Formats: sequence, C-alpha cells, structure tokens
Amino acid sequence: MNEYEIQKRYKMITLLVLIALSVIFGILSLFVGRYPKAGFTPLSLFYTDSVARTILIKIRLPRVVLALAAGAMLGASGFTFQLLFSNPLVEPGFLGISQGAAFGAALMIVFASTSSLAVQISAMVFGLLGLFFSYFLSTRFRFGGALLRLVLAGIAVSAFFSSGLGVIKLVAEPTKDLQDITFWMMGGLWNASWVSIIPILAVIAIALTILYVNRFTLNLLSINEKTSFSLGLNPKRQRIMLLIAATVGTTFTISVTGLIGWVGLITPHIARKTFGSEATHALPASMIMGSFFLLLCDSFGRTILPTEIPIGLLTSLFGALIFVIILSSKSQEGKA
Amino acid sequence: MTFLSIDRLSYRYPAGINALRSVTLSIEKGSSVAILGSNGAGKSTLLDILLGYTSSTSVFLYGKPLSEYGRKELGRLIALVPQKEQFSFAYTLLDYTLFGRAPYLSPMGSPTSTDSLIAYEALAKVGLGGFENRSITALSGGEQQLLLIARAIAQESEILLLDEPTSSLDPANRKRILTLLKQLHAEGKTLIFTTHDANFAYELSSDIALLKGGMLLGYGKKEEVVKSELLTTLYDTQLTVTEIDGRTIIY
Repeated sequence: MNEYEIQKRYKMITLLVLIALSVIFGILSLFVGRYPKAGFTPLSLFYTDSVARTILIKIRLPRVVLALAAGAMLGASGFTFQLLFSNPLVEPGFLGISQGAAFGAALMIVFASTSSLAVQISAMVFGLLGLFFSYFLSTRFRFGGALLRLVLAGIAVSAFFSSGLGVIKLVAEPTKDLQDITFWMMGGLWNASWVSIIPILAVIAIALTILYVNRFTLNLLSINEKTSFSLGLNPKRQRIMLLIAATVGTTFTISVTGLIGWVGLITPHIARKTFGSEATHALPASMIMGSFFLLLCDSFGRTILPTEIPIGLLTSLFGALIFVIILSSKSQEGKA
Repeated sequence: MTFLSIDRLSYRYPAGINALRSVTLSIEKGSSVAILGSNGAGKSTLLDILLGYTSSTSVFLYGKPLSEYGRKELGRLIALVPQKEQFSFAYTLLDYTLFGRAPYLSPMGSPTSTDSLIAYEALAKVGLGGFENRSITALSGGEQQLLLIARAIAQESEILLLDEPTSSLDPANRKRILTLLKQLHAEGKTLIFTTHDANFAYELSSDIALLKGGMLLGYGKKEEVVKSELLTTLYDTQLTVTEIDGRTIIY
C-alpha cells in the first residue's frame, strides 16, 4: 500500500467517523426541545406520553432530517460554486438565487397568501428565475469571459431583486406581513413537516447524488478551461450541468428554510482545511460538516432561550466567527 | 498514412479577424515541431485547433478528422501544457498530477492506486519526487512549469502540445525544461510547441513552422528553415544565424 492509498483510507475513515458523529448528534437532538419543559426530554416519556411521541415523530424528526439534508445541500453547493467559479469566496446565493427567493417569498406574503406552501413555491420559482435571469443577462453582456459575465449578471440580478424586496417591505403591513418577511429572511426550520419536506428531500437527494458522483470532475473544472478540455472534459457543458444541480438543490432548500447564510461559505473552507483541496473527500466532508453545523445551530436556537432564535442569525454569528478564525490562522497562509 | 496533418486550415475569429490563412502542415510521429512567430502570428490559435478546443475540420490525426474523436479518446492522444495554469485552490502536487489520469477514468470514477503510481513516476521524472504532498501554491515559476509537464506525462498521450513552455522562466529553469523536453522527445513523444524564442525552437525541435500574420512563411527540417532571410522577414528585424563551436546561434 503506497502513501496515496494510506491517505485515502485515512480520509475515508475520518469521513465515516464524521457521519457517525452527525447521526449520533441528530439522534440526541431529537430529545432536545421545550416539551414538557426546556432541555432534554427523558426517553421514558416517549413510552408513556402520546403528545411527546407525536412531537418526536411529527415535529422533531422531520426538523432534524431537514437540518441534516439542508446543511448537506448548502455545504455541497457552496463547495461546488467555489470550484466552478475558481474562487474560494463564492457561496450559493451568488447568482441572484437568494435575493430572488427572498423577493418571491415576500411577494407571496404581502400580495397573496401567507401559507407555508405558497411562500415556499413562490420562493422557489423566483430563486430559479434569479438563476435564469443571471444566465440570460450573461449571454447579453459584452465584457469579460463567460464566468465573469455570469458573476456580474448575478450581482445585477441580486440588486434588482433587493430593490424589489425593499419596495415590498415598504408597502407591507407592519404588524403582520413585515414580521413574516423578516422571519423568513432570518431563516428557520420551524416549518418542517413530513408533507413539506418530502418533495424537497427528493430534489436534494438527486442534486447531491449528481454533485457527489462528479466530484473528481469538479477539480478539473477549477483549473484552466483549456487544460480541463485536454483532459477529456466538455467543460462548458459539465459546468452548466453541475451549476444547475447545485442551484436547483439550493433553491428548493431555501424555499423551505428561508435564507440561511454562511453554511455554504465556511463548511467548504473547513472541509478543505481538514481533507485537502482535492474534492474526492473534501466534497462529502463539506456536506457532512454542513449537516452537523446546521443541526448544531438549530438545536441551539430552539433550546437556549424561551423563544426560538432564527437559525440564520446563528449561522451568521458562528459562521462569521469561524471564518475569521480560519482566515487568521497561520496554517492558512497561501492556501485557499 | 500521415500521423498528424493540417490541410489548408483557415480560421477567422467571430470579430472578423483572420487568425490563420490556408495553413498546411504534415507532422511525423515522434517529431518535435516548433511553431515560431512573433506575438499575434496565430501560434496560440493553431495550438487551440490542434488540441480540438477550437473546432476545425481541417486537422487529421491518423487520417481521421480531429472533430470525430471522442473527448476522452482525444485526451488519451493529446496532452496540453498551458503557458500558465489557474491555481485557485491548494491542491498537492500529487493531486494535480493525478488530474492527468482523467481521460482513463470512467465517467464518475476517481483515480486508483495504479493511477497514483503513474503520477508518482511522472513527478519523479520531472525532478519533483519527494514533494508529492507539497501545495501547488508554494511552487516557484520553474517548478510550476515542471508540474504542468508532470501532469501531461501522467496523461500518457502520444502528442504533447506546449504553449510557450519557457516564456517566463529564468535561464536555469529554461535549461531544466529544455533538458526534460529533449528527454521526452528522445523517448518517442511527439512535441508541438509554440515559442517566439528562435534559439529555444532550434535547440528543441526537429522541424520548424514559421508563422507570420496567420500565414505559413516556411516549414521543414530546422536546418532548412532557419535562415537569416526568413527569420528577418518573420520578425521584421535583422536576425543573423551563425554557428559557434558547432552550435547554431540566432541573434
């Protein structure tokens, strides 16, 4: 066994340990909540109390499953975006997707319906429209290369949706609609129910599978396009396919969770720092770390105070702290 | 059958600029061909076409149009050493060299231990053995060029396309690359490289194509092509070809 195989085996074992830790933490977080009182719910209660059982199966379990799936999706799409754009500072909301989804959610809340399903569908549709507009605009731009045009188009589309969102917030009814919009934009998993998450889980599973099986190709798309072409790739086609998988997965995720920042930015960094930049192990590591991070923030947010803290606030707080630590660490010099 | 042939190749950019005009070349297997010309002569365009990156129906490999080869199939036949690589992430030298194995992997596969042995050998060949776990971001310009060649060696292709392989290197690294490329040529690789350095072209090549304004000014064995008059026309400046101690020098 040469050094390459030893390292590969070591990374695989580490990944399996991380998966086991996430599953154990997921199981533990099922017992955390505010019923019958804030803190840890004793196991025996689930045998005797039917309300506790209902809460476990219909509220906590879908919520934990959503946290794991959404975290994996955001971690994977962040990693993918960074490689596809050859830029370690890119995150999933880059192509007008997040702002589009926020606009869609706000539009539905103010002008049509505040039902969760309606808001999710509107957020999803406008998130995808954000991507479509970004791509369409990039084909009209007469400046720079294809990637730069896409980034610039994404910035422009995000700005359009942001200003639209501002107008909606201006006309929103302050005591109800404005609060709903604000809460949606701060992110949260309180909407999780089996009915709402099963279609999302199916999309996330497909998107993650596409990204996972193409993880070696992702490496090749992060280098010079002519080199990746010479290595037998069709870089333009494969880049678009992976971009669509990451974007659709992200859009479906945020349609149900609201805006959750920083997961897609920091977990790829931590994954690369732990497993090296090569995506074979770093991509699944980013997925697992995303799951773990989101689960941790959600469990913290729903137990630490009498009222629930929106998860987006916690991911931003912890994410920014971790980001500062990573970028300030000595071992990060010259690395991406 | 000609190994690699270009038949009356013309190429015009979408903006309307004629990059190449009726270029015809016939390249033998195992030869080392320099594409020599000044900036804007069409060298890089020609290299892009030979790679298949810019589509054309005028290039034939083993008598078959390049455009009819599958992407992976072509990756096993032609490797590229670009002038500069885009290193946005801290891959290790081994990671990057293993990228050269991509044309041999199944669509969703990743490198095996056999691939890793080939990559280790390629790194050792270019003198980077023992540094497999070093980050590519810590390499000097010369070492980066060696790494690009190592990745191309790991690709095990018959043809090596090199875009200005020594343009930004100091004399010591230039010599190092020259020695390595001569060794690869001696081992049977077909080298096709662009350069504006006539001395480097003469040292490494068996044949030279002179390209000016997208047109072929001359093509043949280097001893037949490298003449003061032709080079003076090529570069629009007086150049002299002379022999000192058995070595041909162009100045």
